[in-house]
Parts: sequence; structure tokens; C-alpha cells
Amino acid sequence: MADSPKSSGAKPTENKNAFKHYLEHHQKVAKSTLIQLSQHALTTSFTCFVIGIALVLPVLLSVLLANLEDINKNWDGSPQITLLLKKGLPSLDAGVLAGKILEKQSVNSSLFIDNEQALADFKTRFEFTDAIEFLDENPLPHAIIVRLNPEISSLSAIEQLRDSLVTLPEVDSAILDAAWVQRLQSITRLVERAVWIIATMLSLTVVLVLGNTIRLAIENRKEEIIVVKLVGGTDPFVRRPFLYMGVFLGLGASIVAWCLIQWVIYILNEPIQALSLSYQFEFSLSGLTFLSTLFLLIFGLSLGWLSAWLAVRRHLDEIEPS
Amino acid sequence: MIKFEHVKKHYSDGYKALHDISFSLNRGEMAFLTGHSGAGKSTLLKLIMLMERVSEGTVSVGGQNLSNIPRRQIPYFRRHVGVVFQNHRLLFDRTIFDNVALPLEISGMAQRDIGKRVRAALDKVGLLSKEKLSPIQLSGGEQQRVGIARAVVNKPPVLLADEPTGNLDPELSAEIMKLFMQFNQVGVTVLIASHDLALIHPLHYRVIELAQGSIKSGAQHG
Repeated sequence: MADSPKSSGAKPTENKNAFKHYLEHHQKVAKSTLIQLSQHALTTSFTCFVIGIALVLPVLLSVLLANLEDINKNWDGSPQITLLLKKGLPSLDAGVLAGKILEKQSVNSSLFIDNEQALADFKTRFEFTDAIEFLDENPLPHAIIVRLNPEISSLSAIEQLRDSLVTLPEVDSAILDAAWVQRLQSITRLVERAVWIIATMLSLTVVLVLGNTIRLAIENRKEEIIVVKLVGGTDPFVRRPFLYMGVFLGLGASIVAWCLIQWVIYILNEPIQALSLSYQFEFSLSGLTFLSTLFLLIFGLSLGWLSAWLAVRRHLDEIEPS
Repeated sequence: MIKFEHVKKHYSDGYKALHDISFSLNRGEMAFLTGHSGAGKSTLLKLIMLMERVSEGTVSVGGQNLSNIPRRQIPYFRRHVGVVFQNHRLLFDRTIFDNVALPLEISGMAQRDIGKRVRAALDKVGLLSKEKLSPIQLSGGEQQRVGIARAVVNKPPVLLADEPTGNLDPELSAEIMKLFMQFNQVGVTVLIASHDLALIHPLHYRVIELAQGSIKSGAQHG
């Protein structure tokens, strides 16, 4: 009975070298899939571009987000209060006051800014120096910039401190700078959420577009699928070339997306630097790190595989010889 | 080797393709299945290779009741049944060699063994010199011989053919039949569906005649 259909359980796994042949077969399928894709280079690159562009937006947003978080970190997070001192207060008294404020526990640093120095700074930084020349006297008061301990994060504690500082006889008014930081943090959270939403929707688009591409490929190779099933091809065997196709298209799309993102960052960097300089700090966008590049490639590859798997499940099992 | 017991096949639209078919084919036997088109020849062959399932009764091949084979196991079963089609179902995007190699690749054979087996099969059907050509470069008779090489390359114990000479002239048809007879001589059980009575009667093999889904003659051996 050795050759009878009863021995039909002779799966490849029972073969001694089965695993080697299995790998051999994978290699062969991967190669022939690549050849097929390159034979339709135009369609292939078109698909990769469509999917690549869909990948660009979420990845680019998350790059911006990472940069935004960087700003938050560099900002050292400590809120700051600017005290404007009363007009006519001698510089010496103001310096002494700065020293006194520094003794407070919740204060990290306190920096005295002389009004003459402030005016000079003002002149070098801004362009309406001519207008200032018309003024008889220095319109700026002395100021003390008080930086609080980073541990003090609650707005009410900061406000309490501000209120106590503003009652000092030398102080005219106090400006709280915490709002900036908080606003930035809110923006970051907002962008973060937007990134997730956009990433989810565009990933869905990728799955649909790729799924449709794979479906067309299945349609085109219907006859082959039937023959393979007729001569004993298992479902995994029939699926394999299409799964490889999905993986390769996903990978190609990630590479397209990578190039586009690097290009966009390059284009955006100059205006962003100019903008950040106008806010008096130096900042430039950093591109994709090695890790995020790796993530992008794996993400594209997995999306490709997933789309192919869904398409194959949906359409391949329907094709049965009749 | 092949055994039908009170087999019925009805389709969901009410069409009764086969009713109460019973016959058996011994190991190493060769037989023809005849009848007008629509008599149920193709349906009967489809039941043997599990392209269709019986509505009632049992079909067994090599002692195995086909109703007990789950869907997932069908591919492994099919590797033991070689099939030749009227339109030969070759794949035109690959060479003759690759067409014949397909069943071996599917069963996970090593590449170097595949080469030997494919050339042996092509040699048997007299097409060894054409292994690198595309099926489209071959004549109808040659294409059918490639189809036969693909069906036997796995050395299946059972060989089925559905109108294998349907598109061929008498001379080529006789050659094809000679090939089937050669495989039968080395012990393969062969069942050929054909309506070409002029071709099959002189060969003196068992003839099972179907008419309107029933066996008209040839149910018994001899």
C-alpha cells in the first residue's frame, strides 16, 4: 500500500530534509515574486508611491511630534516669573532684591536685568531702534527674572508665589511665563492625538489599496491558482506568492516614504530655523533616526503582509477548481 | 482501487447529475468511461478527485472513504491522483519544464530531484528536447503530452483523464491512448472519460457506459 492514497498524510514535514526544502521553496517564491513585480515596474512603482505617500503623513507628524517633545525637554520645564520693578529704583537696590528672592526655597535662580542693558539688548534685536532714539528717557524698568524649582508644577502654587512677590514694595508688577510651557504641552498632546487618528485612517487606506492590488493579482492568476490546487497545492502554498507580494510592496512603499520624509524635512528646516530664531532660540528639525527608519520599514512590511493576508483570505479560498 | 457504492450527486438547483452509481476498478486496471455529453462522466471524475462531494453513497480510493477526508487534507490526497484535462490546463507563463515540475514543487521535493523526475516524465512522453520551450510553441498533441507528463510526474497510483483526445485528430489521439496504456502496464490504475467510441472500442479495455446519470453497461468486470 506504499503508493496508495492512504499514505496521503505524507506531508512535507515528515520528510527528513523538509525544512531545507521549505526554505528553498520560500527563496524561490520570493525571487519569482520580485521578478514578477519588476516585470510590471510601472504598476509596481505606482502602487509603492501611492502607499508611500499615505505613509508619509503619519510618520512625518510623529517626527514633528518627537521634535516638539524635544523642545519641551530643552525648555527645562521650569516656569518663570518676570518681575518689573518700580521706576527710579536704583540698580543696587534691585540687585540686592534679586539676592533676597533667591533665598526663597521655591526659587531656582533669579537674574537681575538692568534697564540700560535691557534697552541695549532691545536695540540689537529689533529693528525699530530709530523710534527708540526719539524717546527722552529709557522706557524700560529694571527687571528680575525668577526661575522656579521645576518640581513646582501646579499653577496655583506658582500664582501664589507671584502674588507674594508682587506685594514687595520694590515690585511694580509680575508677569507669569508658565502659560507658554503649558500651551506647548497642550499642543503636543493635541498633535499626538491627531497623529494617532491620521495614522489609523491612513493605515486603513494602505490596507485597502494594497488589498485591492493583491485582489487584482489573484484575479490575474486565477488559472494558475486552479491548476496548483488541482495538482495538490495546499492553501499556504497558494497564498505564499501573494503574501510575498504584499510584503515587497509594503517594503517598497516604506522606502518611498523614507525618501519623501527626508526630503520634506530638508525643505522645512530652513523656514523652521528662521521661525525659531525669531523666538530667540535655536532649533532645527532632526530627521529619521536609525530606530525610526527601522520602525518605518517594519511597519510598511507588516502592513503589506496584513493587507495581502486579508485579501488572500477573502478571495483565494473562493477560487476552487470546478 | 476505485470503488463507487450507490453514489448519488445532486446539485442545489435540483439537477441530478448521477443516481445510484456502483462499480469498482481493481488496482492496475484500465477502463473507459463513455456516454453522451451530460451523461455524468465529468461529474464522476470530479468525485474521484474531490472537486465535488457525493450527495449520497460512498466513493473510496485505495480503500479510503473520500467522505472522511476533510477539506484541509484534500491537497495531500490529490497528490496521489494524476489528472489529464481536455484543455490540458497548462500554464503559459512558464516553460514546459516548470509546468511538469509544479506537482513536485508543491509536494516539497528537493530541486535536484525535481530535475531528474521531470526529465524522466518528459522523456516518457517524448518531449525531452522541448523542456525549455513555452507551451504556446507546441502543437495541440504535444501540449496534451505535457499535460500527461505533469499528471504522472508524481508517480500517482491512479490516473484520470477527462476527454484527453477531445481536441486531437485520430492519429494523435491513438498516440495519446498508447501513452495511457504504457502507464497502465507499469501498474497505474487508469480511468479515461471519452466519447470517442471509434477510438476506444478496438483497444479491448473495459468500457463503462453512462446514460443520464446511471450506468448503462460495464458495471461488472469483464
